[in-house]
Amino acid sequence: MVDEDKHEDERQHGEPPDAPTAQRDELDTASKSLSDALRISFAILKVIMVILVVAFLASGFRTVESGEEALVLRFGRIQRVVGPGFEWVFPYPIDEVVKIPVENQVTLRINSFWYKEGREDILGEGAKPRRYFPDKLNPVSEGYCLTRSQEKGTRPFSLDATIATEDTLETATPQARAGGASESTLIEAVEGSDYNIVHSRWEIIYQIGDVERFFKSVHMRDVLPGQVYFDVMRESLTPLLRSVVEDAVVDALVHYSIDEALQSIDTIPRHVRRLVQEKLDAMGSGIAVTSVQLVEVAWPKQVDEAFQEYVKASQERGKAVSNARSYAQTTLNQAVGRVAESLHRALKDETVDPEQLERLWAQVGGQAQDEIAQAQTYRAKVAASAEANANYLLSLLPEYEKRPELVAQEVYLDTIEQVLQNADEKFIIERADNAKGHEIRVLLNRDPNRKPKQTSSAETTN
Amino acid sequence: MKNIAIPILIAVIFVVLATYLVAFQVRETELAFVTRFGKPVRSISEPGLKFKWPAPIERVQTFDSRMRVLEPAQLSETTTKGAIPIIVNTYVVWRIAEPLKFYNSIGAVDDAERAIKEAERKLSSQINDTQNRIIGKHTFAEFVNSDPQKIKLDGPDGIQAEMLADLDARVQDQYGIKIETLGIKQLKISEDVTQSVFERMQAERKRLTDDTITRGDAEAARIRADADRVRKSLLAEAQARAKAIRGRGDAEAAKYYKMLEANPELAIFLRNLEALVTMLKDRATLVIPTDVEPFKLLREMPSLRAGEQ
Repeated sequence: MVDEDKHEDERQHGEPPDAPTAQRDELDTASKSLSDALRISFAILKVIMVILVVAFLASGFRTVESGEEALVLRFGRIQRVVGPGFEWVFPYPIDEVVKIPVENQVTLRINSFWYKEGREDILGEGAKPRRYFPDKLNPVSEGYCLTRSQEKGTRPFSLDATIATEDTLETATPQARAGGASESTLIEAVEGSDYNIVHSRWEIIYQIGDVERFFKSVHMRDVLPGQVYFDVMRESLTPLLRSVVEDAVVDALVHYSIDEALQSIDTIPRHVRRLVQEKLDAMGSGIAVTSVQLVEVAWPKQVDEAFQEYVKASQERGKAVSNARSYAQTTLNQAVGRVAESLHRALKDETVDPEQLERLWAQVGGQAQDEIAQAQTYRAKVAASAEANANYLLSLLPEYEKRPELVAQEVYLDTIEQVLQNADEKFIIERADNAKGHEIRVLLNRDPNRKPKQTSSAETTN
Repeated sequence: MKNIAIPILIAVIFVVLATYLVAFQVRETELAFVTRFGKPVRSISEPGLKFKWPAPIERVQTFDSRMRVLEPAQLSETTTKGAIPIIVNTYVVWRIAEPLKFYNSIGAVDDAERAIKEAERKLSSQINDTQNRIIGKHTFAEFVNSDPQKIKLDGPDGIQAEMLADLDARVQDQYGIKIETLGIKQLKISEDVTQSVFERMQAERKRLTDDTITRGDAEAARIRADADRVRKSLLAEAQARAKAIRGRGDAEAAKYYKMLEANPELAIFLRNLEALVTMLKDRATLVIPTDVEPFKLLREMPSLRAGEQ
């Protein structure tokens, strides 16, 4: 169109000098009016041309909205990728702009592994007795996946550390299975009988990651006037994404047991996501999976009773274990106090710092504390009384050496006096050596209300 | 002037028209080839502006080369090695890779939709064929297995990869179609088998239930026993400690025994007296003969016989 511009300019310059050179004398009115008319129409034509050119050029302006990326195609070949903003491109048929939403996320639900829902399921009336289920699953109307049986040997994917902790009930079950299952899977491991059936529902979110690859390689229905690109894209991509995700789910679930699926551990969605993304990347689709969620997992209703019972048993097991734990807690608290466990560990550990061990002993409570406290009392007492006795002896000794008989008598009688004062009942009898022998019967009439003051005689010998 | 202007205008228009006649675009999403008098002469795989002789001489055929997904409408039943029936649904993602081959084998290019339909129909039967052949080579245990190492469904040399390679080799050769991805998106078992699977699942669950109960009881018992054991051992430790403390007390006391060596006889005498007091502190009933001090006094009174005091 640059050529056309020049063309017009030439005409503009050329016309005025051209007209006077014509033979003016011979001009009649008719030809003059004709030339006038021509000049006017040329002028109008010029204006129209200019407007057309301007309009043509202006039609090259494009706005790329935020959240979009645009491909500029020149003669059908990708020339550049532009982000949001204004963009001028050569108008049709040279350039073409394809705007692709890159931030819009598309959610896709996959229900094809779910069972055929009855009226109760849809209305959600859980309290109602479950409807009659056939013993079999129709492969056409009912969706499900196969999972492998109980694990045997090593696991394919490392499960999270949280799964391995034995504290929670849910996570304790895999360990429970591991041992118990092995002997019977050996019996059951007949070819083709080594799997379970599970229902699941999935949800994935994806978006366009690489517009260039996406545009080049993924088939999409043409966007007709009045249709939104995004809607057409979503509609066109659904079969592809659905297929790829279903494939990934089938592939992934055979690697897990039904219990792993039922626990909804996040390893499975992560695995599925990885498979989906790998497939999408391998075919160069430019589609990025943002998230894969395992929305719901269910065991087949045909085996509902057995599974419910299992759940109940698991809960009971949890209860039994937690009861036992609280028993253990109480027992140890009563015996040794709160430091029981750390003390126990410290005692087993030979490398433990003796000072720390002492600190722990200082904190013991319960029975052990009593025991130690008594020992400490004994220790204090026994030393003190030995000291007192020794001092007494030493103080008495000088006097005794002067008059041993008297002092001994004195001390002896003092003691007897004390003893007899303390005694409840005293009987003084004649020794019966001259008689033929007689016997004395003493009726001991103990007061039952009086409790013995001291029981452990060994410790109170002072 | 008008005489110059008009020819130029005409020339421009002519050039534009001529361009339309000889030039054509191949988009990024397309593959094309040019036929001269109906005979293919060259294929174009690079997008952009291309030229050819005008219409009656050369014509261009363009094909959408983007990936399409083909999902069979229904499930198909096939059997594994070992004659176990399984129900699968295999989808493929395919695209036209060699337009000329595609054109020659499928034809009907004037109507793109129809050509695609035709291609998909042919592809479907090829998929079925591949599916039956490859799955028939594998045992069911390679699809699902409690030992993950034995599962051969996915992976670089898995069943699906094998199917992909098999199908791709054939359709690429025959139709110029490239299979980008192939996957089994439904893997099911025949209806009659489900019943026995359920029975087995029930039996397995029953066993797990029993197992859980047993294990729960055992675990609870173990926790209790552990607690008792720890309690015992800790108490024993505490007693040993107490004994040691007592021992230290006795050792401290022993220091003073040396002082008693000044007169051992007296010391023992005093200790005996002390013991006497302590032992008879209360609730004692004494029966004492009169020949003991100071009760001898009682005896030496002539008129009095022994009696109650």
